[in-house]
Amino acid sequence: MSTAAGSAVKVGDELEPLTRVVSQEQINAYAEASGDFNPIHVDEEFARSVGLPGTIAHGLLELGILAEAVARWAGTSDALLALECRFSKPLRAGDAITCTGRVAAVDDAEGVATLDVEATSDRGERVLTNGRARVRLSR
Amino acid sequence: MPNAGHVGRRYAAPGQVVDPERARAMARAIAGPDAPFEPEAVPPTYAAVYCLAPAFAQLFTDEEVGINLAGLIHGEQAFEWPARVRPGDTVDASAEIISVEDKRGMTFVTLAVEAVRPADGAVVCKGRSMMIVRGGGA
Repeated sequence: MSTAAGSAVKVGDELEPLTRVVSQEQINAYAEASGDFNPIHVDEEFARSVGLPGTIAHGLLELGILAEAVARWAGTSDALLALECRFSKPLRAGDAITCTGRVAAVDDAEGVATLDVEATSDRGERVLTNGRARVRLSR
Repeated sequence: MPNAGHVGRRYAAPGQVVDPERARAMARAIAGPDAPFEPEAVPPTYAAVYCLAPAFAQLFTDEEVGINLAGLIHGEQAFEWPARVRPGDTVDASAEIISVEDKRGMTFVTLAVEAVRPADGAVVCKGRSMMIVRGGGA
């Protein structure tokens, strides 16, 4: 396991990739939990009517999975100080998302690592780009 | 349609309660077919519920700005969590339009958002949301 806890984190260290198939059921559960019932996420016919290939996952659901990938590496989500990304391509219901990341900088004085993070779909599309995370390192 | 004249508009949504049951539901929703990573913790992106949603609800019903929800896309999101929110906390959420730009026939609206826990004054979330409004000039 490559977690940040208790080990010497260095530039180039990689996250354990996290892959998850995001089903329509999962999108519906996220709509329920978040309160975001925008029909592009839950209504196939509506999604097609606005030019999408079908329903798509909430960007913030994808970001939640990316946050989990970083938190697993850090050992706890409490260590996640910041996370950002661009929602570059939609993730279609039923597609798999894979979140990856790599340590870009380590500030030993502050005890903080900065990671470049992103996510791709199993269609080969980069769905989350320009991603960056800041993680407090355990010492 | 949103325009540069709307920059500086602020929205306040005080008294957002971090409902433990709903936070657990989001943890399960993020996990999908897998076991939640931390089933009892508030997922970091639960900020969508206590910070973004209440502030956005006001923006979306601000008739002077007149955002067309049917064409709305979430373009970018940045979060910072200076202090960690806990189940049961009450927080005050707010947002401010910090930029409106027209590009390629679309309108890019950026908001700065924040959630503060009044009990101790801790900032539990700071963020920036960029929304893309398609189909301008309807």
